[in-house]
Amino acid sequence: MRDVASFGTDETISRIVEQYSPMLLRLACTRLGSTADAEDAVQEAFLRLLTSRPVFRDAEHEKAWLIRTTLHRAGDIRRRAENRNLPLDALVDVPAPEAPAEADILSAVRALPDKYAAVVHLYYYEGYSIKEIANLLGVPAATAGTRLARGRERLRQMLKEDE
Amino acid sequence: MDRETYKKAVDSLQFSPDFQARTEAMLHRRARELEKETFKMKLFRKPAALVAVAALLVVSVSAAVLRLSASQAARAMDQPLLAAAFEDNNAVTVNQTVETGDYAVTLLGLTSGAGLDVLNQDLDVTHTYAVVSLERLDGTPLEADILSYTITPLVSGCAPWAVNNWTLQAGVDATAVDGTVYYLLDANQLGIFADHTVYLAFYDSPFPPSAEKFTMADDGSIAFSKDFQGAHALFTLPLDPTLADPAAAQALLDNWLPQEGSAAPQADALAPEDIFIVTGSSAQ
Repeated sequence: MRDVASFGTDETISRIVEQYSPMLLRLACTRLGSTADAEDAVQEAFLRLLTSRPVFRDAEHEKAWLIRTTLHRAGDIRRRAENRNLPLDALVDVPAPEAPAEADILSAVRALPDKYAAVVHLYYYEGYSIKEIANLLGVPAATAGTRLARGRERLRQMLKEDE
Repeated sequence: MDRETYKKAVDSLQFSPDFQARTEAMLHRRARELEKETFKMKLFRKPAALVAVAALLVVSVSAAVLRLSASQAARAMDQPLLAAAFEDNNAVTVNQTVETGDYAVTLLGLTSGAGLDVLNQDLDVTHTYAVVSLERLDGTPLEADILSYTITPLVSGCAPWAVNNWTLQAGVDATAVDGTVYYLLDANQLGIFADHTVYLAFYDSPFPPSAEKFTMADDGSIAFSKDFQGAHALFTLPLDPTLADPAAAQALLDNWLPQEGSAAPQADALAPEDIFIVTGSSAQ
């Protein structure tokens, strides 16, 4: 067991922030068009870890908790913004990649429903297997596989329409 | 989808160069504040003034006039085989509604069978499917959200943090139609517990059941903790008793026997690994 009550120590805070920040920021950006909002989501996830102090079995369990909590916080931020009726453009402060194909693909992933985007990102960017993604998200492998297949199909349609 | 193009797109994102330093400083500061708060609490501990907030839970059997049926909801999720199964004689229509906080949660119905999911033709295993709807009482439309809420089966006599979505390899899909969210629960090992009382719990949290959220009485019956904050509802699933397989259920439980020295999860720990069987499989 990894006792995250010790997350309050300076060393553990530094370890967790350094180890997980890049991966969690990228993940949050699949739900949010603003890198500033993605940074808020990741900070909120770390804060929740500090205050709720869950007990983790091992490093994978710790990572899974952070991934799910970041997705949850990112979803909250997105919904809050949508409830304020902000136009979608106002949520985007990320400079578009120079290559149109790269800009399109990122926008298309952001347009996917939450359940598909997370699986697509973890598979295509982080290189996790279906089984690993299932463990990280707390769903059966068949469900993760189905979400990847459906997400991929939606992306294919969206990118085809843009051509 | 081209993996390299996607990677290049993600790698082009520019985050604040001082994000990690800023975040570490904020967390160090907050950790010290929490330390001080804990110290003060120890010095000046006094009986907590508990304000009991009575959650008004209204249970009714509704006619589901405006909601989709379980079959229609399955069809909206591109599951035609399942939609048909919800219409046959083996399916059970429940339409039981719990009003909790600002929401109405309705268990529409359930069915069991093999090979009903068009994308997961698991022909050898009987799956149990249940459809639950969620709507706001004030009519504000909702969006499909599988990250904020948990819908999980629980089994009487088995600790809620031991037997749930995570340990039963159950999954939930969702779709929104006209502002009402429909959740489809797919559990492939639930029928074997049909000789127990099997519950379907809905609650406002993305994390697995814990000892903070649920209590289990001596007779094995399960209830939400009185202190649970947020929308929640607990239904009883009328499973077909012929699906019960006590030997298979016991074998499953035996695989989850606790490691020596482990304790019940109190907080929002993510996964099912802190597993305890509180009473034997004979609990009803």
